[in-house]
Amino acid sequence: MKDRIVPLIRMRGCITLSAVAGTLLLALAVLIIFGPLAGLLFELARFFGAGGGGSALAGLLTGRRLVLLIQSVGLAAAVTAAGICAGVLIATALWRRSRAFSFGILLLVLALSLIPPYIHALTWSSAITLFNQGLTTIGAAPLPSSGWLVSFWVQFMAMFPLAIFLSCIGFASVDRTLVEVARTVRPDSEVLQKIVLPLAAPSLVAAFGFLFVLSCTDYSVPSLFGSDTYALDIFSVYSATGSAGAALITALPLLIITVAVLVACRSGIRRLAQTPNWTVGAWDNPPVVPGPVRLFQEGAFLLLGLQVVVVFSGLVYATGSWAKLSSALAFSAHEIGDSLLIVACVIAIGIPLAIVISRELLLPGVRGSLWWGLILLPVAVPAPLIGIGIISLWNNPAMPVLYGTFLMPAFAALSRFAAFAAIILYVQIRAIDPALIDAARVFSRDTVATLTKVTLPLLAPGIFIASAVLAALTLGELGATLIVTPPGFGTLAIKIYNYLHYGAAAEVAGLCLFMVAATLVAGVCVAGAVAWWNVRGPGSRCKKSVMDHD
Amino acid sequence: MQRKSIACIILTLAIVFTVALALIVCQPSGVPQKTVVVYTSVDQVYSEPVFKDFENRTGIQVLPVYDVEAAKTTGLVNRLIAEKSNPRADVFWAGEFSQMILLKNQSVLAPYQSPSGSDIPAQYHDTEGYWTGLGGRARVFIVNTDILKPADYPHSLDDMLSPAYPGRIGIAYPMFGTTATQAAALYSTLGYDKAHAFFSNLSERGVRVVDGNSVVKDLVVSGQLDYGLTDTDDACTAIAQGSHVAIVVPDQGAGQMGTLVVPDTVALIAGSPHPAEGKVFIDYLLDKNTENDLVKSGWIQVPSRNVTTVIPCLNGTVIKPMTVNYQDIYDGVEMTKTDLADIFVR
Repeated sequence: MKDRIVPLIRMRGCITLSAVAGTLLLALAVLIIFGPLAGLLFELARFFGAGGGGSALAGLLTGRRLVLLIQSVGLAAAVTAAGICAGVLIATALWRRSRAFSFGILLLVLALSLIPPYIHALTWSSAITLFNQGLTTIGAAPLPSSGWLVSFWVQFMAMFPLAIFLSCIGFASVDRTLVEVARTVRPDSEVLQKIVLPLAAPSLVAAFGFLFVLSCTDYSVPSLFGSDTYALDIFSVYSATGSAGAALITALPLLIITVAVLVACRSGIRRLAQTPNWTVGAWDNPPVVPGPVRLFQEGAFLLLGLQVVVVFSGLVYATGSWAKLSSALAFSAHEIGDSLLIVACVIAIGIPLAIVISRELLLPGVRGSLWWGLILLPVAVPAPLIGIGIISLWNNPAMPVLYGTFLMPAFAALSRFAAFAAIILYVQIRAIDPALIDAARVFSRDTVATLTKVTLPLLAPGIFIASAVLAALTLGELGATLIVTPPGFGTLAIKIYNYLHYGAAAEVAGLCLFMVAATLVAGVCVAGAVAWWNVRGPGSRCKKSVMDHD
Repeated sequence: MQRKSIACIILTLAIVFTVALALIVCQPSGVPQKTVVVYTSVDQVYSEPVFKDFENRTGIQVLPVYDVEAAKTTGLVNRLIAEKSNPRADVFWAGEFSQMILLKNQSVLAPYQSPSGSDIPAQYHDTEGYWTGLGGRARVFIVNTDILKPADYPHSLDDMLSPAYPGRIGIAYPMFGTTATQAAALYSTLGYDKAHAFFSNLSERGVRVVDGNSVVKDLVVSGQLDYGLTDTDDACTAIAQGSHVAIVVPDQGAGQMGTLVVPDTVALIAGSPHPAEGKVFIDYLLDKNTENDLVKSGWIQVPSRNVTTVIPCLNGTVIKPMTVNYQDIYDGVEMTKTDLADIFVR
């Protein structure tokens, strides 16, 4: 009896302490993630106070802006829909492939997602020119090299890798036992249509929202091909007026649309009731898809192959030689180190914050809904405005210690991307079977052991994935980082864009190749860590101990 | 029970987080006592050697913050304005002048007249001493020599409207960067009606408007455009890299208006943390030898003083600059950008 009481007392002590720590972390999350929005609201109030609000609001209602908004939303919707469709085709085609092949594809698309959209645009622009030269040689009419069609194509190809990655996650969230049961009574095509797709739909809708926001806020690809978007107009206003308030007002229509899309996607995620298995592999007996679908799947693989060939051949050709690659890396060692430091900082701070937020997202009622609305808001705000909000909040005499340190770019990335980590962990926490935790609590005498041997192993896949997503997004962040990066500090993204202007194609291509290679290596390490954790590490011991007690 | 367990995780992670944060905040900065924080919109590849040389000569460490073209001039200038109440920068070194006038109007700058700038012509100085200019870049045509023969080269901005050039012409978005400055100069020189008509005609005839001067250069180099309007540094870089392009300085004939020359500018930030070091840096930057180094490196093609270095990409061409008043250009920038957004972003 005495043996039982001591752990209970320990556990209560732990709960009290953890409640305090949880509250503190939540307060910190509010400060870091929503603080920039508060700073922006302050700037907005100042703008209205100076009398600029009326004219800025009136300027919103012009026909030109309405047309731009419709064009932008249309392009983003088309790109996203096409991306998700192609992603679904590849994700379902991977069912028939080996686990190693699927893993390789996932790593590849994650690495491709890190390449700045502008690089995709430039390599595709060159490819189209080359193709047109070939067509002209044989006397055929060349393809259009600018306009909405080309903008759609290049933006679609730039988003394609991320769409595949997110679609794969979507299908990984489908509980295969449900599918297998259905397959015993219905043909595969019907199971796919009536079971698999509806089960994956919430995740795919979430992926749609994410890609839609990315597409809506990017102006670099469309503008290279002569298509103007609303995001460009926001920058145009910001550049003309130098006022964050004016830019924020101009951004309002796009902000409302993107937040509405994200909130709509949120309902999908909240309904996600299945057990996700991030590390899901190939099926022993994969569902058979109808012939035409299989044809489309092969077509989607061809597209991916085309994207890989165009981008990698473009990058390798531009890099030129190993000597140029190594010199680019040596020349950017400082920026590589700084970028990795920021990434480490974002993960170290972001994961605890994401866990507390995911707990809030789990809450029913108004509080949970409010958190869903709030957490998605910074995602839709243009990046430079987040930077200005951070300056407004942190650059004052009351907080002199942190401003000017590399925590600022980390906070910028956290404000913009913590929502994604929180949502991933939300899904992961929902997936944990409470019976496992309860069993561990009842039979374990040690809270720390429960934590390290049961709970953490169960959360680990989500933590790994959330860390990878945070790392990938942080590495490529430019708009907000530029505004808040401390003096003497530099990131890889800033260096790449700086050299892009100079025309140092070899250096830029070399650094992009490095980012891709680093992602591949990191991905292999994360996969190795997950495998070790589940097979030989605490994950396996957790399962074993729970099963023993059962 | 699950929530209790999650709470325990939070406790552990909170400890890890706190320790990590403490380590981050308490880490020794390793910053020597004498430093100067320089915000610059000059490309890193050109400005970094200047900083290194300054450090070697003075022992003062430069902590730079760089801008990028992709930020569409919404980067450092807006950062400086946002930081105005608690400045972090000592010096702003800009690749053009209109941003500097904006910063002066926003009370971000402090007056400082450097002795090193005493031999710089008067038009490069702010009348109240808030900023000083040095050499800079000019707006030029970059022409693909594989596509156009010398006889077909354009020679005036008006040629961009000529039916002789069927449309494979490019400019950067005229709401941003030096293209915006040139547009404001045209509005100031030609008057609203003529300038508005010029840009409207450009837009209507399908001139390709792209995401920056470097993109114009890239597209001309790759043969996707016949020619385009860009800065001399971009064009000279392409020539130095062996691309099949040529530079044509527009409107250089008798009676023509000349081309816009965009000087670099430098200023001290009001209330900066290291004003003494900031002044030392400004003195160094405005020195004739530094300007010569910047000409040598390829950043400056139109020096403010006679320097020894010859600019190879211009083949000894003496550029006839447009006669402009910087303040007039600045005054028209916001209206110009708004007007051009109406014309080009639709």
